[in-house]
Amino acid sequence: MVPIQIVLISAVVFICFYMYLRLRSNLLDAALIFLFCAGAIFFILFPNTTTEIAQWLGVKRGINLVFYVTIFFLFFLILKLYARIRRLEKKFTDMVREKSLDKAEDLSKENHDTYGGAV
Amino acid sequence: MLSTVDKSIFVIVPCFNEVYIIRRTVELLLQNYSVIVVDDASTDDTKQKLVGLEVHYIKHFANLGQGAAIQTGIEFALKKRAEYIVTFDADGQHDKADIEKMLEVLKKDNAGIVFGSRFLPGSTTNMPATRRIVLKIARFINYLASGMLLSDANNGLRVMTRKTAEKIVITENRSSHNAQVQNLVKLNNLKYTECPVNISYSEYSRKKGVKNINSIRILYDLILYKLFR
Repeated sequence: MVPIQIVLISAVVFICFYMYLRLRSNLLDAALIFLFCAGAIFFILFPNTTTEIAQWLGVKRGINLVFYVTIFFLFFLILKLYARIRRLEKKFTDMVREKSLDKAEDLSKENHDTYGGAV
Repeated sequence: MLSTVDKSIFVIVPCFNEVYIIRRTVELLLQNYSVIVVDDASTDDTKQKLVGLEVHYIKHFANLGQGAAIQTGIEFALKKRAEYIVTFDADGQHDKADIEKMLEVLKKDNAGIVFGSRFLPGSTTNMPATRRIVLKIARFINYLASGMLLSDANNGLRVMTRKTAEKIVITENRSSHNAQVQNLVKLNNLKYTECPVNISYSEYSRKKGVKNINSIRILYDLILYKLFR
């Protein structure tokens, strides 16, 4: 085992352990984290397997394949995050709107009475 | 032109930091119509400027965007039993007289919504040439996004019936709401028409309004709207 493998494996184990602590409520999540962790450690210990898979797929080097897969994975993550932001923004908008409608005012009234909740 | 007073017609004026011009815009509109000012979290004294006017004033506590402000106004107008709903920019570039003209067109064509247009014969505008080019391009992009080819895709002046307003629920908070409105009109099979309007590009509205460079931002919002609708 070369030093970089030890560094990478400790990093993966640490990240997976941390994720498990944060998300431990769900059995499926735990299983996914474990699978990811096991997969990552496997490829760190046997880097040549990525090349074998790559060549089977028609890609020259394993590192290229990892690169392609990572790009698509990150792109997918960005879309997921963006969808989540849109949902949050919608909630926030509804909140702001509800509150502002409750506090609608008629500015001609002397002390600018609010209409109160029901209009 | 004969001007009628009809307070069941609600004019929604979305505004953001329009302190210099808001009172004049609103005062003119109030002569004939009910007015709802939706203040999208202005940081200036917009509210103080309006005190004393018989205007419905709604303030967002955080800035959401023009589309969101219009939607807030629509919801309020519907609660107030509006018969017709008008959207009108706060910066003084629209002509109040056009509202009456558009209402006539709406009734005559039995349409659900009338879009104001700066490009139909009969409209007068002192539009800068670069603006004209950008708007022509925007028109086709909007067509791709909404399936509706209007002569002027990004005009803030619109008149719609109550029934139409109930169906148009704007969820695009920012500038892509124009395309969304057109999209919803199309999806709901609502009858629409266009009407030439007058726009005056003052020094003020040019400074305050949508700048050409912002079109890129609008395009970006539009793509995201199509992706995540």
